[in-house]
Amino acid sequence: MVDITVKNLTKKFGDFAALRGLDLTFPAGQVTCLLGPSGCGKTTLMRIIAGLETPTTGDIYFGNERVNELSTRQRNIGMVFQYPVVYRGISVRENIELPLSEDRSLSKSERMRRVEEVLDILEMRDVANMDVSELDNGTRQKVACAREVARRPKIILFDEPITNVDINSKLQLKRGLKELFVNLKQTVIYVTHDQTEAMTLADQIALMKDGLITQIGSPREVYDHPKDAFAGFFLGNPGMNFYENVTVRQGEVICDIFPSPMRLPSLNGAVERVVLGIRPEYVRIVTAQTPAAVRAKVIGSAIVTGGQYLLRLKVGSLTVRAKTSHAIGSALQVGDELWAEFPIEHVSVFANNEEQLSTPAKL
Amino acid sequence: MEPIVKLDGVGKLYGRKRVLRDITLTVWPGDFMVVLGMPTSGKSVLVRLLTGLETPDSGRIFIRGQDVTTLPSGKRNLGYVPQSFALYPHFSVFENIAYPLTLAKAPKEKIITEVRRTAELLKIEQFLDRRPDQLSGGQKQRVAIARGLVKNTEIFILDDPLVGLDFKLRERLIEDLKATQEELKVTFIYTTSEAVEAMQLASKLAVLHAGEIIETGSPEELYHRPKREETMRCVGFPQANLISAELTGQNGQLELRSPLFNSRMRLSSHVRGDHLLVPAHVSIGFRPEHVMINAPATEQTVSFEAKVLLREDLGGEEIVYLDAKGIQLTTVLRSDEKGALSINIDEHVTASIRPEDIAVYLNRCYIGRACISHDC
Repeated sequence: MVDITVKNLTKKFGDFAALRGLDLTFPAGQVTCLLGPSGCGKTTLMRIIAGLETPTTGDIYFGNERVNELSTRQRNIGMVFQYPVVYRGISVRENIELPLSEDRSLSKSERMRRVEEVLDILEMRDVANMDVSELDNGTRQKVACAREVARRPKIILFDEPITNVDINSKLQLKRGLKELFVNLKQTVIYVTHDQTEAMTLADQIALMKDGLITQIGSPREVYDHPKDAFAGFFLGNPGMNFYENVTVRQGEVICDIFPSPMRLPSLNGAVERVVLGIRPEYVRIVTAQTPAAVRAKVIGSAIVTGGQYLLRLKVGSLTVRAKTSHAIGSALQVGDELWAEFPIEHVSVFANNEEQLSTPAKL
Repeated sequence: MEPIVKLDGVGKLYGRKRVLRDITLTVWPGDFMVVLGMPTSGKSVLVRLLTGLETPDSGRIFIRGQDVTTLPSGKRNLGYVPQSFALYPHFSVFENIAYPLTLAKAPKEKIITEVRRTAELLKIEQFLDRRPDQLSGGQKQRVAIARGLVKNTEIFILDDPLVGLDFKLRERLIEDLKATQEELKVTFIYTTSEAVEAMQLASKLAVLHAGEIIETGSPEELYHRPKREETMRCVGFPQANLISAELTGQNGQLELRSPLFNSRMRLSSHVRGDHLLVPAHVSIGFRPEHVMINAPATEQTVSFEAKVLLREDLGGEEIVYLDAKGIQLTTVLRSDEKGALSINIDEHVTASIRPEDIAVYLNRCYIGRACISHDC
């Protein structure tokens, strides 16, 4: 297994710059998720690595070998697409075994071992002898994944494999993929626009926007330490609350989420205006007034993941999304007034950069 | 006040297949009524009957108090946002949104005012001169929604309008749609198969399952006190845990046996009087957030041993999948709970739950909650 590296990669389609200079390593044996909104360039990058597209400039390396001139077949890659590609009319087991039987270097026992291994990991023993035509879409996609994984190519590319699977099979497929990744440690590039998928499956997330990588790191790193407002917005369910054009005076921010001007550890005193961001789950509802609390009014309330409540609060002139526990949320109603704290260790400071903040509106 | 839309015993057959059965649904002015159902539950057929694209085989449909069962689509005066949007590529955004008004031969000034107002609601006012191919996917969907909402009426049917859209975009549009409906003070009837989307949007929720509306209520009622097993399963994310159990014993001494739990439980006061026939197969259901992992044992909880199958860190919360005696279960941890917890895949844990968080269903209908034997 080898690292996959791209250097100074650009791609133009006519006047449109789809990729604007990427340097990135996909470490061997790890899952890298290319995450970003439609049009960010993630699929183009994947297609260039696959050899389905040629870059305008830049190089692609598999280990130390430059592969720009190699065809897709010569690069020895595996691919799983949005819609499952399977061979109908033959069984699940035969589907997985077929590409292996083309590899003359594999003994029959090794072939069998690999097939049984993926069938076990994906818990597909009971459907192994069924014709794939009889299976639902989600199970077919599992077959497609199993086949590529069993082949042990240099790298496996997944292009939103879960997106078009029906809702009942989504979770199962996601679990199956996680099990495959954890157990077999192959080099994987996984393209998605779904941040929860990336959080779950990735060893590293490469966040993309407008043809550039804006941040790269482990899911937790990117989630907990977003480098810019875009990362704060794109990861999280829902993403961060943002407060723009916040005035900085003598090293302190003046914002309705704090009862008085507040000194923030991460604030660079030289700037005059900043954007503040806080994740909905870090907004703290408190029962009584505290020195850090501000008055808030509930303007919306809904049950979300795991019985938590997503509250919409009015704080001064600002709107705040707060994700709170079931116990607190279920006791509150629209119109109620309460106290809320915005712990400074969870408040991120971003440059007051209009371009970044306009991203949500541009989607 | 009169219901603004009412379906009374509506049924529909496709050939010999009954796709909708005895649908009774009452919608009041200002409701955001969400019909939640899995694919093939009959949502689209219901929409087609409401909009008048098809007529029911039985039952009546009333809109604004008038029987419209056989009234053609064009005469029902409804706004409609379809599932898959088709914009006219040669029209500007303005012309696309204005199309229903132009078709109705509305005066020019009125068209301009209405289109502007709707575009502002959906935050697309800066794109009115563009053509659809100059817009992102999300902007196009906003235009399609605007075209559905521009109509000067007070009842709108939205047929799963966010399905297939990017995750982040849905997050935005859910907020915008909710705000739009509240601001316009109109009635929305909205279909979806996503539980969290449904709970965020709905003022009233109706669960459509296999062609039947099995339960209606506020999202909170249906989440906390589902009367039907299917409601518990589909209202909520991650899905509730539902496992089979046995109910045995005599009147007043109903014992609940499940291979999962170490301790004995009983059925607490139940809703069907005392004439349950036992022994009976039942389902017991509990929500993922009610399962505690490696919590100190108390007399108020029942517990079971389990193996960790998968941890799914969503950022703000984490879903943990467990295997207990071959049964797969789901738990969810909030960000402030999971910090202290260090568990790994394949590790063995003790899971516990309070019996009052366990609902018992007989023939898919709620009959009561569990309790610990000595407490009952």
